[in-house]
Amino acid sequence: MAIIECKEVCKSFGQKVALDHVSLEIPEGRIFGLLGPNGAGKTTLIRIINRITIPNSGEILFNGRPINQRDVEKIGYMPEERGLYRKMKVGDQAMYLAQLKGMSSAEAKAELKKWFVRFEIQSWWDKKVEELSKGMAQKLQFITTVVHKPSLMILDEPFSGFDPVNAEMIRKEILRLKEEGATIILSTHNMESVEELCDNIALINKSRLVITGGVDDIRRKYGNNNVELVYTDEQGRHSEVLPRETDGASTLRTYLEKGVQINSYKELMPRMNDIFIKLVTEGE
Amino acid sequence: MNLHTIKIIIGREYLNRVKKKSFLVTTFVVPVLMAALCVVPIVMMVNSKEKTKTVAYVDRSGIVGEYLENTETINYVDMTAAPDADSLKNRMEELSLDAVLSISALDSASRSVNADITSRKPLGLEMSENINNRINKAVENYRIASYNIEGLEDIMNEVKANVRLRSYTMDDSGEEKISEAGVNSILSMILGMFIFIFVTVFGSMVMSAVIEEKASRVVEVLVSSVKATELMFGKIIGVAAVALTQFLLWIILTVAIVGVAGSVLGEDIFDSLDAQEVAQTAGVNVDGEAIAQLADQSELSTILSTIQGLDFTRILVVFFVFFILGYLLYASMFAAIGSAVENEGDTQQLQLPLTIPLMLAYFIAIYAFRAPDSAIAFWGSMIPFTSPIVMLARVPFGVETWEILVSVALLIVTTGLMAWLSAKIYKVGILMFGKKSTWKDLWKWLKQK
Repeated sequence: MAIIECKEVCKSFGQKVALDHVSLEIPEGRIFGLLGPNGAGKTTLIRIINRITIPNSGEILFNGRPINQRDVEKIGYMPEERGLYRKMKVGDQAMYLAQLKGMSSAEAKAELKKWFVRFEIQSWWDKKVEELSKGMAQKLQFITTVVHKPSLMILDEPFSGFDPVNAEMIRKEILRLKEEGATIILSTHNMESVEELCDNIALINKSRLVITGGVDDIRRKYGNNNVELVYTDEQGRHSEVLPRETDGASTLRTYLEKGVQINSYKELMPRMNDIFIKLVTEGE
Repeated sequence: MNLHTIKIIIGREYLNRVKKKSFLVTTFVVPVLMAALCVVPIVMMVNSKEKTKTVAYVDRSGIVGEYLENTETINYVDMTAAPDADSLKNRMEELSLDAVLSISALDSASRSVNADITSRKPLGLEMSENINNRINKAVENYRIASYNIEGLEDIMNEVKANVRLRSYTMDDSGEEKISEAGVNSILSMILGMFIFIFVTVFGSMVMSAVIEEKASRVVEVLVSSVKATELMFGKIIGVAAVALTQFLLWIILTVAIVGVAGSVLGEDIFDSLDAQEVAQTAGVNVDGEAIAQLADQSELSTILSTIQGLDFTRILVVFFVFFILGYLLYASMFAAIGSAVENEGDTQQLQLPLTIPLMLAYFIAIYAFRAPDSAIAFWGSMIPFTSPIVMLARVPFGVETWEILVSVALLIVTTGLMAWLSAKIYKVGILMFGKKSTWKDLWKWLKQK
C-alpha cells in the first residue's frame, strides 16, 4: 500500500519547468530516498506533497485519496532551509510548532517532555534558541518535526549540521520510527546513508523522474552481475571477481572441492554513488 | 482558512511582542512624555514669576521716570542724579544692580527718546517687553499732552478697541456651537500624525517579523503546518492587537498621569485664578496686563467650549475605522515586501512605493489642517492610499457623513484587493532564499498561479 502516490505531477515557475510529469509511489512503512542533483526539482516535489506549493497539473494521493489540508497534520517536515525563532525560548518554540500541527497544549507538553528526556536535553526548556549550538538546535528541530507522531516524515538533508555522534543518534531514531510504522522520505546527497537506510528510492534529474524502485533491485540492475570470492590456500589470501551464476553455487563448489578455505563470497553491487553519477551524467 | 491555527499564530505574535522589554518601555515612557507635555506648560505658567530684579534708571528726558512703577519682578531705583549712566554700568555688581536703564533727553524734532538697557545677565523677554511698553506709554502720553487739547487722553483711551472675533458653527438642526479654529487645527494635526506614525511603525513591525522568519529559515517549517496566507494574516492581526493594546494603555496612562498631576497642582492654579478675581471685584485699576489676562481667560473658555462642542464619539469611531483599515492596507503590503528580502537593509528600494504615498498623505494632512475643505484635502481623503491620514486631519472640522462612507467603502475595497495581491506575492516570496529580489520579481510572483 502506498501512503503517497504522485500522478503525472507538473509544476513550472514562469518559463522554468520544475517538475515534468512525475509519477511515483511511496510505500507505507518504508524509508524512501529522494535523490537528484541540486535544482533537479526534489524540493519542489517535497513542497507539493506538503501542500506548500500547488501543482499546475497532476495530483497527489494520500492513503489512496486526494490529499487535503487536514492531512498535513499527519506529515512531519524538516526542510533543508530550516531554522527556529532565535529569540524564543526552546520550550515555547516547541510548544508553538506542535500546536500548529494540531496538538492540544497538554498533549504537546507531555509528548515534548518525553522527547526531551530521550534526547537528554530537559535543561534546555527555558533557554533561548539563540543560546543553542548548531547541533543542539538541529536536535530540537528534529523533535519538533516528529513530536506530533506523523505517519509520514519528510527529512531533507537530515544529517547536515550534526557531528558523527548526534548523526548516529538521529539515524537510530529514524530506524526506530520506521519500526513503529512511520514512512520516511529522505532527501539527501549522502549516498552511503541511502544504501544503509533506504528501502526504495527515486532519482529525479532535470525535472524528470529517471528511475524509481527498490534499492537492491536498482543496484543489481546497474551492476555487472559479479560476485567476489575471497579464499586462502597455501600461497596465501586471494580475491577473485567472478560472474554470478544463475544456478548459484557451482563455482563455489569447484573451489570448495579444491580444498581451499573460503573467507567470503558475496554479491558485488555497484555503489549508489556510482549509479547516481552514471544516471545523472548520462542525461546530459 | 483555519481559525484555530490563526488563533495560535495571533497568540504567539501578540504575546511575544507584549512581553518584550521595549514594548513595556515605550508603553510607559510615552504617556509620561505626553503628560509632561500637557502638565509642564501649566506648571511653568503658574511658577514662572521671576526673581525680583533691581533696575537703576537714569532719565535725562524727565518724562519716563514716573511711569516706571515697581512691579512684582522689577524694582526701579532712580539714579538720575548720577553724573552719567556709563559709570553706573561699570559698577553694577558693587551697587548690587541687575541692570541699568539709560534714557536720553527728549529729541525735540522726533518728540521721542532713545533708551538702552545694560544688564549683567541677559534680560527675560517678559521683562524687556514690560520696560519697553512703559517707555512707549510715557512717550505717547507726552505727545498727547503736547497737543494741549482738553480731555484728549480720555478720548484716546476711549477710542482703543478690543474686539475679538468669535466663531460659531451651526449644523442643520440649527444648534450653534462655539468653534475655535486653533483647537480644530491642533486636533486635526494630532489625529493625522497619530495615524501616520501608527501605520508606519506597526506596518514596518509586520515587515520586520516577516523578514525575521525568512532570515531565520523558520518559515518553511511553518508553512508546512499552516497556509502561507494564514501565517501572514495571523501576523498582521497579532501586530494590530499589539498596536491597539499600546494605544489603549497610552490613553489610560496619560489620563491617569494628567489626573494625578492636576490634583497635585490644582491648588496652585486655583490660587492664581483667585488673585485675579479678587483684583477685579475690588475694582482695582485694570491695566493692560490685566486685560491681557482677561482675554486669556476668555480664550481658555472658548477653547474649552470648542472641545466640549466636538463630537468625540464620531471622531473616535472614524479614527478607529480608518486606523484599522489604513493599517491593514499598508501592513499587508509591508508583509509582501518583507517576504522578498532576507535582511532589513535590502528593503529600502522596495519600500519606496509605500513610503511615497504615506509621506504624500502626511503633507496633504498638514495642508488640510489649514484648508480642510480644499480640493486637495478632499481628494486626499478619498483616495485610499492617503485617505486614512488625510480624512482624520479633516474630521475635527466636520466632514459630511456621505464623504466618510464613500471613503471607507473605497478603502475597504482597496484593502481587500491589496491584501489579496500581497498574499500572492508573500506566498512565493517567503520561499525564495538566497537572492535579492526586485520589483520585477514581485511582478513575476504576482502572475504565478
